[in-house]
Amino acid sequence: MRKNIRFLTAVLPALLLAGLYGAPAQAELKVVATLSDLGGIARAVGGDDVAVDILCPGPSDPHFLPAKPSLARKVAGADLLIYNGLELEVGWLPQLIRKSRNPKVRPGARGELDCSRALTRILELPEGTVDRSQGDVHPLGNPHYTLDPRNAAAVAALVADRLGELDPARADAYAARAADFAARLEAALPEWRRLTERAAAYPLIVYHRHWTYLTEWLNLDPVGEIEHRPGIQPSPRHVQELIEQGRGLGSLIVVCATWDEVEIAEEVANRLEVPMVVLPGYSGALPGTEAYVDFIRTICERLAAAAATLDAGAGS
Amino acid sequence: MHKKIPSGTTALAVVALLALMAGSAVAQSSSTATGVSRLMNPALSLNALMLGQTSADVDGAVANGADLQEAEVQFTAIVDPFWQADVIVTFEPGEGDAFEAGIEQAVIESLSMPSGLALRLGKFFLPFGKHAQLHTHMYPFVHAPLAQTATLGDAPADVGAELGWTVPLPWWSDLLVYAVDGRTEFHDAESSDPACGARWSNLWDASEQATLELGFSGLTGPAADPAVQGARRVFGADLTYKWVSGVRSQGPALTAQAELFLPDADGLEGDPLGLNGLLQYRFQRQWWLGLGADLARDVRIDPLCAEPSADAALGEWREYKANLTFVPSEFSALRFELSYREETETGVEDLRFAVQANFTIGSHPAHTY
Repeated sequence: MRKNIRFLTAVLPALLLAGLYGAPAQAELKVVATLSDLGGIARAVGGDDVAVDILCPGPSDPHFLPAKPSLARKVAGADLLIYNGLELEVGWLPQLIRKSRNPKVRPGARGELDCSRALTRILELPEGTVDRSQGDVHPLGNPHYTLDPRNAAAVAALVADRLGELDPARADAYAARAADFAARLEAALPEWRRLTERAAAYPLIVYHRHWTYLTEWLNLDPVGEIEHRPGIQPSPRHVQELIEQGRGLGSLIVVCATWDEVEIAEEVANRLEVPMVVLPGYSGALPGTEAYVDFIRTICERLAAAAATLDAGAGS
Repeated sequence: MHKKIPSGTTALAVVALLALMAGSAVAQSSSTATGVSRLMNPALSLNALMLGQTSADVDGAVANGADLQEAEVQFTAIVDPFWQADVIVTFEPGEGDAFEAGIEQAVIESLSMPSGLALRLGKFFLPFGKHAQLHTHMYPFVHAPLAQTATLGDAPADVGAELGWTVPLPWWSDLLVYAVDGRTEFHDAESSDPACGARWSNLWDASEQATLELGFSGLTGPAADPAVQGARRVFGADLTYKWVSGVRSQGPALTAQAELFLPDADGLEGDPLGLNGLLQYRFQRQWWLGLGADLARDVRIDPLCAEPSADAALGEWREYKANLTFVPSEFSALRFELSYREETETGVEDLRFAVQANFTIGSHPAHTY
């Protein structure tokens, strides 16, 4: 038995090494994006000139992505790593960069791009003392800025600039695609605003402060959070207090992301007898939302449907 | 090597370090003249583990009562364009009310080597298996598994150099080779021969939410046991399956792991072997359940302290553990653990209940997968 175990510990490594083979053919520029939104933007800007890999799939909460070594393998092959920044990925990206052993994407290198640098305004920048009694607060401000399409357009321009630096021969093509992406978003903005006009008439109770950029852009009215503190499971007392607060507000909409504890949001909505809407937190979180434009449209349509339910109730 | 210092001094030292390092950068404009600047300070964190335990067999007790199990201060910073540094200072209970201070890790790692290579220099945990590379506050149970402590050591760390290479395979594959001074508890620190080892780990995505990891380790060095002629070798293999819900934030998660340790040397008594298995399951957002089983065969374990001892009789030990851990946030945890340990030949047994509290403050680097 012991000899067999020794034999196996010697032979298995040899068998695994026998699987060694050359790397498959790659596109000229390999881009790795931490989030699906950024990956979608990179695809829109890079077109067929880049190959894009995404680390955090749309359905996963990017606050808590496991730092799997298989993701480090993706980073290892990257010419450009684009990430959200504002410490959204701080729990896993440093590990992946370190494990990737890819000097091209280390902080400060030309192959890393913090997309938050495209922002002209960061929302919910904490004022005064920040400590963990406030929960998993983001000390650099709310990081979920891609929920405002105007920010997505700015990110596309930033990505185009960097791709152009890394691949000057195609710089014009990258810039043109970024401009086209921004134009498509600009054209869709009036329709998205029109869709959510009625939702803006009702207060929102959100599960997590994920939606700040969205609510600010669409003039929606978030009045409370199911999570008492960011990243901390809500206590029954807080949920009860929130329900009592909600009763004083009349008709409202409860909003949560696909990865939130939907059962708690459902309980709040049921007890308040108001509609609950589950939204994709990032593109790809729900089927049919893989493209950024479809992602934003789906959010608007779902909010519109919830508002229509309330309108119908008021009219009956 | 730990240097004993009074506990009060330890506490003061930690507080002083924190006071020195913490806080945002104050007005830096005068630093040119004063030379006082915090801009380049390392990230600093402190983790503390408190442990209370009681045993049904006082004769076999490790230590009934409550104590600070360990405090760990970690400094992490980029040194220059070429190196990143990690230094971990630990404080553990010593005799009486004294604490022992030690350098658990002081290592620099290269930042800019090409071709998937990385070099580490300094004192580091030897990359052997899975559990031996964990810091105490990351242990899945209160103590390290007997299978490991009896064959490899509690937390084997040594001073030397390690070269890592990402093997270009279709899956994630990492090869580490290292040479160290040879001063772990099973090595002869007086010998001029180094200890050398290697680890090769491979990880596959079983699905988008699950991974399977297979690792092989080996370590050879001058034996501390005078009965052994020449080098003492340990071979190891480990298999880990992990599943984490990809659609629910901090949702259900499962880890199943098995580790094998095989010591080998000319003159080694018996047929020593260590085998460890564990199961961890997050059944609610803040709650983990852990189950573990250990076998350490033909090893010498001191029944009083459950640690390797050359004076102890050769025997076979088994240990079974179950725990429940409440994790209100990433920065604190409270664990309740029941364990049963027995030596099958002599009938020495120990039933133990432990409560462990764990907290982290400061900027603690993210843990490995």
